[in-house]
Amino acid sequence: MKSIIFIPLFILGFILVKKPETPSAVPINDRTVNSVLSELGENNRDKQPDYTMTGVSAEKGRELVIDGFTTSDGKKTSKQSKHFKCISCHNVVKEDIDLSNPDPQARLEFTNDLGIPFLQGTTLYGAVNRSTYYNGDYAKKYGDLVKPARNDIRGAIQLCAVECAQGRELKDWEIESILAYLWFLELKMTDLVFSTDELRKVVAPAASIDARAKKADLIKSKFASGAAANFEYPPDDRKKGYVGLMGVPDNGKLIYENSCLYCHENKKYSFLHLDSSKLSFKSLNGKVGTYHPHSIYQVARWGVTSKSGKSSYMPQYPIEKMSNQQLEDLRSYIALKAE
Amino acid sequence: MNKLIPFFLFLVCTNVLLSQSSDIKVNQPPAVKVFQTFKDTRVINTHATEMLPKGKLDFRIGHRFGDAGGALGGWNNFYGLENASDVLIGFEYGLNDNVMIGINRTKGSSELRQNINTLVKIRLMHQEYDGNKPFSLALLGVTSTSTMPGSDFPGSLSFFTKKAHRMSYHLSVILSKKISNYFSLQVNGSWTYRNLVPLFIDPPSDTNDLASVGLAGKVQLTKAFGIVLDYTVPISGLRTPSNGYYHPFGFGLEWETGGGHVFQMNFTNSTGLSETDYIPYTTSNWFDGEFRWGFTISRQFTVR
Repeated sequence: MKSIIFIPLFILGFILVKKPETPSAVPINDRTVNSVLSELGENNRDKQPDYTMTGVSAEKGRELVIDGFTTSDGKKTSKQSKHFKCISCHNVVKEDIDLSNPDPQARLEFTNDLGIPFLQGTTLYGAVNRSTYYNGDYAKKYGDLVKPARNDIRGAIQLCAVECAQGRELKDWEIESILAYLWFLELKMTDLVFSTDELRKVVAPAASIDARAKKADLIKSKFASGAAANFEYPPDDRKKGYVGLMGVPDNGKLIYENSCLYCHENKKYSFLHLDSSKLSFKSLNGKVGTYHPHSIYQVARWGVTSKSGKSSYMPQYPIEKMSNQQLEDLRSYIALKAE
Repeated sequence: MNKLIPFFLFLVCTNVLLSQSSDIKVNQPPAVKVFQTFKDTRVINTHATEMLPKGKLDFRIGHRFGDAGGALGGWNNFYGLENASDVLIGFEYGLNDNVMIGINRTKGSSELRQNINTLVKIRLMHQEYDGNKPFSLALLGVTSTSTMPGSDFPGSLSFFTKKAHRMSYHLSVILSKKISNYFSLQVNGSWTYRNLVPLFIDPPSDTNDLASVGLAGKVQLTKAFGIVLDYTVPISGLRTPSNGYYHPFGFGLEWETGGGHVFQMNFTNSTGLSETDYIPYTTSNWFDGEFRWGFTISRQFTVR
């Protein structure tokens, strides 16, 4: 009889100590990265939205991100920002082919093929899979403001709303709703690029803690834990541009149309109107080599500051979002069209 | 029954054809609306078809100095800069992209002073680049109320025996076309109604109704810098140079400094700034040096 009692205890002990990986019935390619990592012992619970809070829903979060407002108790909320929406600076789909190696040129071509803009902000797709936000030189720009945001996605959402978008503070239920929506944009295993050998390792069962950790590390190595952000200086001599780089106008055209015009055409998100007319190109071309706020070197590398009575500003492109070569490409396209 | 078959076939065919045509329409990309036929909601004196975008508040200051030349101009008043014939301060707001409202106060340059003007402008059609809308069309309505103290002298324009005598109205149909990035043209037809008009013996008394037509244009020289002009012709036998009236004509230089700030410096013979003022009461003559400098500062704020 005593031995019968020990059998379930033994089984329970085995479960607790061993914690074997319980493979899902769902094929790996159809699964989310988070679900696989959770099985491997990764804890992502702190990023889960609090659905017990009144009013929280992913749909409301989607509306806040896409439209800039939502509804509460059947009434339209005030706009989060008078100036911007989240999608002014962030895409909501995958924008890098290889998430482990974000490259601005590959991103430009990929986003152009998708027909989506080429933006300063990192895509919200996979935001919940990242662990750090406002990385690198954003600390130089925002100082202590990044502290509550760097390792906390809720803090990052709020900082983006108040500082970057120059809007009102989000209420708790709005942040949770945005978080709920962001979970719909989490990474899928198919988004990650594995070699055949790596894929075999990912699919193979991992029984030991060490094996599971290795497997989790392998998966995590396939996407960036945070978007790098290094602010580059404009060229020393703006008239000459970046030394040793020759612009490619065709590439510059992609940048002009998918980046500049996305915000500036018909003053969509800006106070400066740009279009594909010669007037626009001549104006930009005449200011390239100067310190004027409409010099592409000035705005791409330093952004613009708020003006009196107008708190919104254009954020700069970190070098990871627009390379020096791309800036020269843009310059060459503008010069060509201004002729 | 057999006779009905061709009829049903006709109906089916018609339906298929109509469905196809609507499908084609659905698949067409939306036509692109032209942007900035003029840079501002005004050309110089006349309203343009341009509208304030939804949620934008425009704070504007307009100024008309004194005569630059002629008997009242010259060095003595620094070519008019030491006089102000009219000043406008007001706010305008875009209810949506095609409806704007506004209220302003003008000093007034005619006998009617201290005017509170309200306006509503509705854009009925917005020109498209490749669509079926070759021009923009807007309606403008203005009311002016003089808040000046009433005169005690019968016959004076400010001898208000009724509150309604303080009021004037203006309606305008405005049609504009951006012909290229470098050139825009606008015509308008207007009707101005003043509840109280001057009484004369010679020339004969004024009429309450006053029709007018206007022509305006813009030549864009660079992205930021352009030249604008406008000309208004009141259609009235009374408003002739021999009776001391002249057609308001102005040209201006305007530039956009970035940050949504449009600065305009203009030269015009009209002394008034509101339609109910400069159309009926322009009595200055360009050829006598009776033109003045003016400017408009417009600053837009995003309210919502």
